[in-house]
Amino acid sequence: MRHQVKRAQTSSKLNPGLALLALVGFFVIALPVLALLTRVPWSSFFEIAMSESVLLALEVSVVTSIISAVISVLLGVPLAWYLARGPQTKTRWIRPIVIAPLVMPPTVSGIALLTLMGRNGMFGKYIYETTGYSMPFTTTAVIVTGVFVGMPFLVLVLESAFRQTPIELEEAAATLGAPPTRVFWRIALPLAKSGLIAGAVLAWARALGEFGATLMFAGSLPGVTRTMPMAVYSAMESDQGSAFVVSAILLAVAIVVVFFLRSNLIKTFSR
Amino acid sequence: MLAKKLVALTICILTITGCSIKSDSAIQAAESNSETEITVFAAASLTQTFTEISKQFGVENPDIKVTISFAGSATLAEQIKQGAPADVFASASQSAMSSVVKEIPNPKTFASNRVVIAYPAANPKNIMASLDLNKTDLVWIQCDHQVPCGAAADKALAVDGVTAQPKSLEPDVNSVLAKLLTGEVDAAIVYLTDVFANANLRSLEFSNKESAATSYSIGTSDAASAAAQAFVAYVLSQSSQQILISAGFDAPSS
Repeated sequence: MRHQVKRAQTSSKLNPGLALLALVGFFVIALPVLALLTRVPWSSFFEIAMSESVLLALEVSVVTSIISAVISVLLGVPLAWYLARGPQTKTRWIRPIVIAPLVMPPTVSGIALLTLMGRNGMFGKYIYETTGYSMPFTTTAVIVTGVFVGMPFLVLVLESAFRQTPIELEEAAATLGAPPTRVFWRIALPLAKSGLIAGAVLAWARALGEFGATLMFAGSLPGVTRTMPMAVYSAMESDQGSAFVVSAILLAVAIVVVFFLRSNLIKTFSR
Repeated sequence: MLAKKLVALTICILTITGCSIKSDSAIQAAESNSETEITVFAAASLTQTFTEISKQFGVENPDIKVTISFAGSATLAEQIKQGAPADVFASASQSAMSSVVKEIPNPKTFASNRVVIAYPAANPKNIMASLDLNKTDLVWIQCDHQVPCGAAADKALAVDGVTAQPKSLEPDVNSVLAKLLTGEVDAAIVYLTDVFANANLRSLEFSNKESAATSYSIGTSDAASAAAQAFVAYVLSQSSQQILISAGFDAPSS
C-alpha cells in the first residue's frame, strides 16, 4: 500500500516530454474508439441489435466462444500446471510452441488448422476418407479455432499465477502426506484462482474476437459459422448501421472484460 | 491547465510535421521532376491482369510508380468513401462504382466477366450441370451477396433453379478460390477468368450468361493527376484489352 502511494507521487512529476508522448499514446488508442461511437445509429440501436442477422451472429459467437473457453480451461489448466512445475528440460521446448498462436498472424493460424484438419489435411484427409466427416464450414471448426487462439492466453497467465504461489506450501502439504492430486486441487489451484479467472476471460475474449483464422478454417455462413466479427466485415459493405451496432456491442464487451480483468490481473501479479 | 497546454502543444507539433512533410515532397517533385506515384484500387478478380497491365505501363512510363491495392470491390468502395487515397478505382460491379459517384465521377466500362461453376479438373464429384449443386453431398461455396461475384452468383443460381445453400459466403473471390484450390470444397462459383488462370480447374457455364455477367468499370478521382489519367487510358488501350481478353475477360458488353 505504501509502495503504491509513493508511485502515485512520482507519476505526477512525470517530465513534460514523457507526458506529451503519453498523451499522444492515449489519443492514438482513444480517438478511433470515440470515432466509432459517433457513427453508431443509437436511435435505432435496439431495432438493429434485434434484427435476424445480428441475433444469428450473436448466437454463433456467444455459443462458440463459451464452449471454446471451457475447453481451453479443461486442457489449459493441466498444461499450465505442467509448465509451471514440470521438468525444465522439457517445459523449455513445450512453452514456446504452446504460446506461439498468441503472436501468430490469424491467417497463419487458419492455414495451420486447415493443414491439419481440412479435407486434404494431415488428419482431416484420413477422417474424411473413413467417415465422410469434414470439419471446415462447421460450427465445430469455429470452436476449435477459438481454442487454438484462446488457450495460449490462459496457459500464459495461469502458468505465471502458479509460479507466483510459494512452492513451499505445496511441499509442506506433500510432506504432511497429501498426494499430488490433492495438493493441486486444495493448494495450488485455489491460490492461483485469480490467474485462472483472468486467463479464462482472456481466452474467451480472444475466441470471441477472432476473425481471420475463423474465416479461413470455418468459412462464413449466417447461423452456422458467421461470428460477430465476420458479421461486422460483411455488413460494412452493405448495411453499415448493423456493422456499427455490432461493433459497439463488441466494444462494450471489451470494456467490461478489461475492468473485470484489471482486478484479477493485479491480484495475480502483485504478490 | 497543464492538460490544456499539452493539447495545444500536441496540435502544434502535429501540424508542423504535417506541413513539413508536405513541403518536402513538393520540393522533391519540383526538383527532380520524376517518380510520380499513383495508387490504384482494383477488384480482387483483377489481381493477375492488373499486375500485368501495370508492369507494361511501367515499361512505357518509367517515371510513374503504380501501387495497386486489391480487395473486394465493395470493400474498396467503402474505403474510398472513408477518404482512402485512391487515384484510380477499378470496380467489378456497377453498384460498387455508383456508390462512389462523388469520389470517382466519370467511370468507363472496360471489360466484362461472368461467374461460372468451377470444379477440379479431375471432377471427382462428376459435376455435369448447374442443378448438380442441389445434391446434398456436394460442398460448394460462393461470394457473399453484396460482393459483385456473389450478386452475380445469386442471380445465375436463381435462374437455373438451384435451391441448395452454399456452405460459406466468402468476403471476396480470392477467398472462394483458395478454398476450391486447397480441395476443401467440391465446387465454387467464381469468375471465368479465375478458371482461365488455373490449369487444374474446369468450369461449367450457367444457362443464362447475361444474369451471370458483371461489368468492370474504371475511373479516376476528382483530384487525380495526369499520371492517373494516363493509367486509365492505358487500361482502355488496345494492348491492355489484349491482356484482359487473353485472361478470359470479354469486351465491355454495352
